[in-house]
Amino acid sequence: MVERRAPNLRGLVIHGLILFACLVCVFPLLRIFSVSLRPGDRIISTDLALIPAGASFAAYGKVLKQTNFLLWLWNSLVITVTTSIIGVSLASTAAYAFSRFRFPGSKLGLALLLGTQMIPAGMLILPLFLMIMRLHLTNTYLGMVIAYSVSSLPFSIWILKGYYDTIPRSLEEAALVDGTDHFGAFLRIVLPLSMPALSIAFLFNFTQAWNEYLVARVILTNSLMYTWPLGLFGLQGQYLTQWGMFSASALLVTIPVLGVFLYSSKWLISGLTLGGVKG
Amino acid sequence: MLGSLLQVLYFVALGTLSVAVLEGYLYLHFRFWDKRWLLPIGLLAAVAAGCSAAALVPLGRASLIVSAIATEACLCFVIQYLLRGRFTLPYLLLAPAVIGLLLLIVYPLAFEVSLAFHDLKLNTVMHWSRTGELPFVGVKQFARVFTTSPLSEVTFWQLLLRTLWWTVINVVLHVTGGFALALLLNEVKILRGVYRTLLVIPWAMPQVVAVLALRGEFQAEFGAFNIMLSRLDRWLPWVAKLGIGPVQWLGRHPFLTCTLINVWLGIPFMMVVILGGLQSISRNYYDAAAIDGASAFQQFRMITLPLIKPVLVPAVTLGAVWTFNNINVIYLVTGQAGGSEGADILVSALYKSAFTYYRYSYSAAFAIVIFAILFIVSMAWLKFSKSTESVYG
Repeated sequence: MVERRAPNLRGLVIHGLILFACLVCVFPLLRIFSVSLRPGDRIISTDLALIPAGASFAAYGKVLKQTNFLLWLWNSLVITVTTSIIGVSLASTAAYAFSRFRFPGSKLGLALLLGTQMIPAGMLILPLFLMIMRLHLTNTYLGMVIAYSVSSLPFSIWILKGYYDTIPRSLEEAALVDGTDHFGAFLRIVLPLSMPALSIAFLFNFTQAWNEYLVARVILTNSLMYTWPLGLFGLQGQYLTQWGMFSASALLVTIPVLGVFLYSSKWLISGLTLGGVKG
Repeated sequence: MLGSLLQVLYFVALGTLSVAVLEGYLYLHFRFWDKRWLLPIGLLAAVAAGCSAAALVPLGRASLIVSAIATEACLCFVIQYLLRGRFTLPYLLLAPAVIGLLLLIVYPLAFEVSLAFHDLKLNTVMHWSRTGELPFVGVKQFARVFTTSPLSEVTFWQLLLRTLWWTVINVVLHVTGGFALALLLNEVKILRGVYRTLLVIPWAMPQVVAVLALRGEFQAEFGAFNIMLSRLDRWLPWVAKLGIGPVQWLGRHPFLTCTLINVWLGIPFMMVVILGGLQSISRNYYDAAAIDGASAFQQFRMITLPLIKPVLVPAVTLGAVWTFNNINVIYLVTGQAGGSEGADILVSALYKSAFTYYRYSYSAAFAIVIFAILFIVSMAWLKFSKSTESVYG
């Protein structure tokens, strides 16, 4: 094999290439970090240093005090938590029906669920917006919850169905023998055993709604109701970008999201590739 | 703080209550499906429910009552004659999700189709939201999609070509980049976990943050890319002579900027999928091939590619649909007032024509045309990938 000829050089080149790719991947984060540390009088400069001269955390204080950043985060949190709870509870029972029962329409239903992934997102925004406008729910939490609640449902159902399929039926059969009905077996045995998959589905719903911009921009016009992506977009205006505040708030939002994603990515990815592997 | 918590609880309680009511309603039908009185009593209840809902909602009263009665009649028919009391539990389990999807995906789509045959725009939207009346215009909106620009200048056909080009170039770069990184990562023994974590950061970051941050870096004067380019020119004058230097990224080359950002965003997903596929290929094939004297390239062509195909084809299909439907990147980069139209693809033009230009019916017709294109292209692709599958056996 090739490795025998020049193992050291080859390994070095590989590590070098990967390190370069890593740098490219982390680059915007590093830049945001460095801009957020710049002192107020030197926000706009052609400096590329990671830690700028006269670094300070003043921009963070300014974001928290001078903008509605915390309010935006809070709005996002309320909307996101609600939609995730609703989404996961709808998906958990539906996935159980698909996993354990053969009934007229079960195959068609699963195929249609996949089909919904084909619908362009932009196609649904317009009728949803008009419906919500007509119900006078623009600029309300309820309107946002309605708009978001089923958007991740098909994917959640697929993940949960895949997980339920791995739970042996004999557990439920034992419970049936012991005198509970099928729904009781689902509630007392399958659901507690599926906590890992349920939390992954919850996280998926959560990140989808948390990072959503396009629907929120249409439904929320009052800046007191903004979710954080809208607020952030506002900070990066066309002519007057508040670079320091923009970078500070961007970093504050990104770090928890990154943490959650990296923590859960192993399961999320296995959920994503599930369909492909099972073919 | 407490108020918002209460709000979450309130919404969840509202959701649970409506699910419980729906389930109870369905459960009664399943329980008494063989009773003669079910249909008349049910219809009476539907009339009552329709009337009380109509009293609450100011618009479309008659249609509410009619749809309540129709739902009840359909339900009774299905349960009495088709299901006859079987499959109670699965249908009860499915009901909440199905009703949610019907109300928030199927109904909006139907509404969009009907909208495309009417005329709803900025001038008529107030009248519509008060009275619910809309002028019917037939297929005029569909004709306008092809004849007038969805935005202010760029035409439908330009957008279509640009979308196809955008999808192809992005998917090709995603797959090539992802493949290269996955092959490199697969060779590495140490630090693989650390590299992998760093390399998925573009995927893991909130897209809004990533795109807005990169957009800032493409800014002409103080963005990092132009700073680097001008420093490069200063250090190596011959590079400057080749014409490489600071570029008006957002003003002159919006499409290139969006493509670069989207490639950066999309490579990690492909890398992770391909890496998973590579790791599932047994080492033995490569050892056997090496004994037979196959070169590294031959090994890649004859072993890696065919064996990775079952993983790659769904990922490419998914990636192509995502790229085709990607509004986020283009809108966030060019969506501000005065932003360029030079990067718009079909879906981002759809979003702008609906929510920047307020042409609602026009956008509905446009959306249906886009969906038809996507549908035809994906069917062709599925056929194609099936046929290549048979070549590989």
